[in-house]
Amino acid sequence: MTVRQLLSLLFLVPCLCLSAADTAADAQQRLHGAVDEVLKAAEGAKSRPALHDKLRPILEKHIAFGAMTRRAIGPGWRQFTPEQQSKATQLFTTLIIRSYSNKFTLGEHPEVLYQKAATPAPGRVDVATTTVYQGSRYAVTYRMEQEEGWHITDVVIEGVSMIANYRSQLDAAFKKGGAATVLSSLSDSTSRP
Amino acid sequence: MKTTPPILALFLLAVLPLFSSCTSTHKKADVTVNTVIKSSRKNVSAKVAPTTSKTDDLDEYAVTKVSDPLEGLNRATFKLNDGMYTYIFRPISKGYEFILPKALRRGVDNAFENVKYPVRVVNCVLQGKMKRAGLETEKFAVNTVAGVGGLFRVSDKIASIADLPAEDTGLTFAKWGIGHGAYVVIPFLGPSSLRDGVGLIGDYALNPVNWGVFWKGKHDWTKIPPSANTLRVLPSQLAAYDAAAKDSVDPYLSVRSAYVQNRAAAEKK
Repeated sequence: MTVRQLLSLLFLVPCLCLSAADTAADAQQRLHGAVDEVLKAAEGAKSRPALHDKLRPILEKHIAFGAMTRRAIGPGWRQFTPEQQSKATQLFTTLIIRSYSNKFTLGEHPEVLYQKAATPAPGRVDVATTTVYQGSRYAVTYRMEQEEGWHITDVVIEGVSMIANYRSQLDAAFKKGGAATVLSSLSDSTSRP
Repeated sequence: MKTTPPILALFLLAVLPLFSSCTSTHKKADVTVNTVIKSSRKNVSAKVAPTTSKTDDLDEYAVTKVSDPLEGLNRATFKLNDGMYTYIFRPISKGYEFILPKALRRGVDNAFENVKYPVRVVNCVLQGKMKRAGLETEKFAVNTVAGVGGLFRVSDKIASIADLPAEDTGLTFAKWGIGHGAYVVIPFLGPSSLRDGVGLIGDYALNPVNWGVFWKGKHDWTKIPPSANTLRVLPSQLAAYDAAAKDSVDPYLSVRSAYVQNRAAAEKK
């Protein structure tokens, strides 16, 4: 290694570290923004349908539903037609948003304590938090990825990944009856009262 | 840094029933979403997410592999539990919530969790985690003395002991190299495995609320603490169960996956 190469390397390492720190900070800031927007919308909602309508555009802005749907379905996704992929994404998005809206308890204000974020790979940041909710403390990590801005691609609570959880269900549905069964399962889930 | 939450409620509620015994404590998060849990002696393993690269690879979330030879029986028990939760325990839970205000219920929860100190400290010692056993002792002392017998969780204000990971006998068995064995759904209690099911016996024996049961002679009062302990966890358990069942595509698979992932993560702490 020449002196020039050595100097270049010495210069590059701290730059990479600083870049990673900036990246993590950006992602964390994005998460803060999402949190604030959701809470503001929730506080102003008069009814649950109204809350649903207000949250949908906010969640669609901050969550990468397309990537989440693909990963939740898994390798079977490749055998979906474009129309089926579109339908699956639409249903999965509705399922997640509806579930979230239904669980949101007005008046409950969980506290999120942000831990140090990590950058396990370029374009990806895991924002770890301790969330205090109804008197209990939970380790919640938001997995964020950068693709046209930072978006949430998974939520891991006490080691339980939302995407891995849905994958276990949708993969079984796919093996049972292919894309049609996945779509009907999602449709059944979203149509449940 | 503190603020209020975002996207969490949905999934938070969905998985609550699966780690009720470890809800009060957890390891200070060190940002490792990625957990690839495999043990040569485990029949239940979970691979959650990749560690190396940001990709959109459809294969990156491998399907949770679970030894579930009793799936038919487990599904039947799951259904039975669902009925019990809905038609027997929900009315009881509603009554408890009606009688006791939220603040008091929280105090009761704190006190019961605090008194489970022997479960945590003995398993720390059995796993050779002496430093953590010391921290558990510190936490117990702080909450008992400053928290008025554990009614107030003062330890939340002390960073070093606020988020200690949960410990139980099943985790001790895991530390000793014993695999899960088959996945089982226990009547009323819900998801477990052969290993963790046996571990529950140890947890029961180590929990002071149950010690009265071992006393010689019959004393009706000894049934009060364990009954109260069961009663106080019902509201959160049932709310979470409802959320899990409603939000999933296949409630049985959803609960099983969450259980395996949660236990795998707990083993690593």
